[in-house]
Amino acid sequence: MEDRKISQAESLAIITEMIDRTKSHSHLCNGSILLLWGYLSVAVALAVAILLWLTNGHPAANWLWFLIWIVGGTFSPVLARRHRVRAGTKSYFDKVSSGVWSIVGYSAIVITFVCLGLLLFGSYDCWGAMLFFAFGFVGFAEMVDGILLGVKPLIAGGAIGLLAGIVTLCCLAGGVVLSAWWAIPLFIVAFICMMIIPGHILKANAKEEL
Amino acid sequence: MKELDPLLHSQLRLAVMSILMNLEEADFVYIRRQTNSTAGNLSVQIDKLAAAGYIMVDRSIVHRRSRTTCRVTPQGRQAFERYVAAIKEYLNI
Repeated sequence: MEDRKISQAESLAIITEMIDRTKSHSHLCNGSILLLWGYLSVAVALAVAILLWLTNGHPAANWLWFLIWIVGGTFSPVLARRHRVRAGTKSYFDKVSSGVWSIVGYSAIVITFVCLGLLLFGSYDCWGAMLFFAFGFVGFAEMVDGILLGVKPLIAGGAIGLLAGIVTLCCLAGGVVLSAWWAIPLFIVAFICMMIIPGHILKANAKEEL
Repeated sequence: MKELDPLLHSQLRLAVMSILMNLEEADFVYIRRQTNSTAGNLSVQIDKLAAAGYIMVDRSIVHRRSRTTCRVTPQGRQAFERYVAAIKEYLNI
C-alpha cells in the first residue's frame, strides 16, 4: 500500500478488507494457557490423592494444592505475554478476557487468605469453598470467553465446571461432607472437561489455521 | 455533503486506522504485514496520524528488540466514525 488518494468506493473496500484481516485471533485460542492450567491442576490433584492414600488421609497433603496457584500464576502471564508479542496485537476480546481472568485470580488470592485465616485463628475448615471457587468461578469465566469468541468447547467445558460448582455449593450448604475420595475424582474430571479437552481442540484448530 | 477528512482519505493511513479501530493495540510489524507497505512509508504515515492525535505510539524494548505499538485515541475514533459516515453519504449507503 502507498500514500495515495483514493475514491470513496476504494475507501470502503480498504476498511472492509482490514477489518476482515484483523478478526480476533485471541491469545487464548491456541489453547496453551488452558493446557497449562488443566494438566497442572490434574497433576496436583493426583499427587494429593496419592499422598492422602499413602498417609492414611493426613490433611498436610492438602498444602500441595497451593502448587496450582504458584506454578500457574507464575507461568500463565509469561505465556500470555509471549503470545501477544508474537501475534503483534491485542484485541478488545483479549482486554475483556484478561480482566475477567484477573478477577478470578484476585478472588482466588482473597478466598485463600480468608480460608487460611479462619483455619489458623478460628480452627474452622472452610477449604470446601475453594473447591466451589475452582469449579464455579473458573467455569463461569471460561463460559464468558467461549460466548465472546463463539467457541463451543469453551462454553461446554465452562458449563461442566459451573455445574460441578453448583453441586459443590449445594453440598456445602446441605452439610454434605466433601470427602477426598469423591471430591478429588470430581475435580480431575471437571478440569479435564474444562481445560484439557477444550485446550487440545483449540490447539488443533490453531494448527489448522496456520 | 460532509467533507472527507484529508488525513484519513489516503490508502495507507486509512488502512492503518481501520486495523487499529478493530484492535486494542497492534505493533508496527503486524501493521506492516497486514498493509503490505514498506517500513519507511508506514513509519511516515504513522507519525502523521500520531501528530494529528489520531493514534498513540508507544516505543518499548522487548527481548532486546525495539517494539513500536500503536493504539487509536478517542479523537481518532471520532474522526474515523465521521469519515465512515461521510463515505456512506457519498455512496448513498
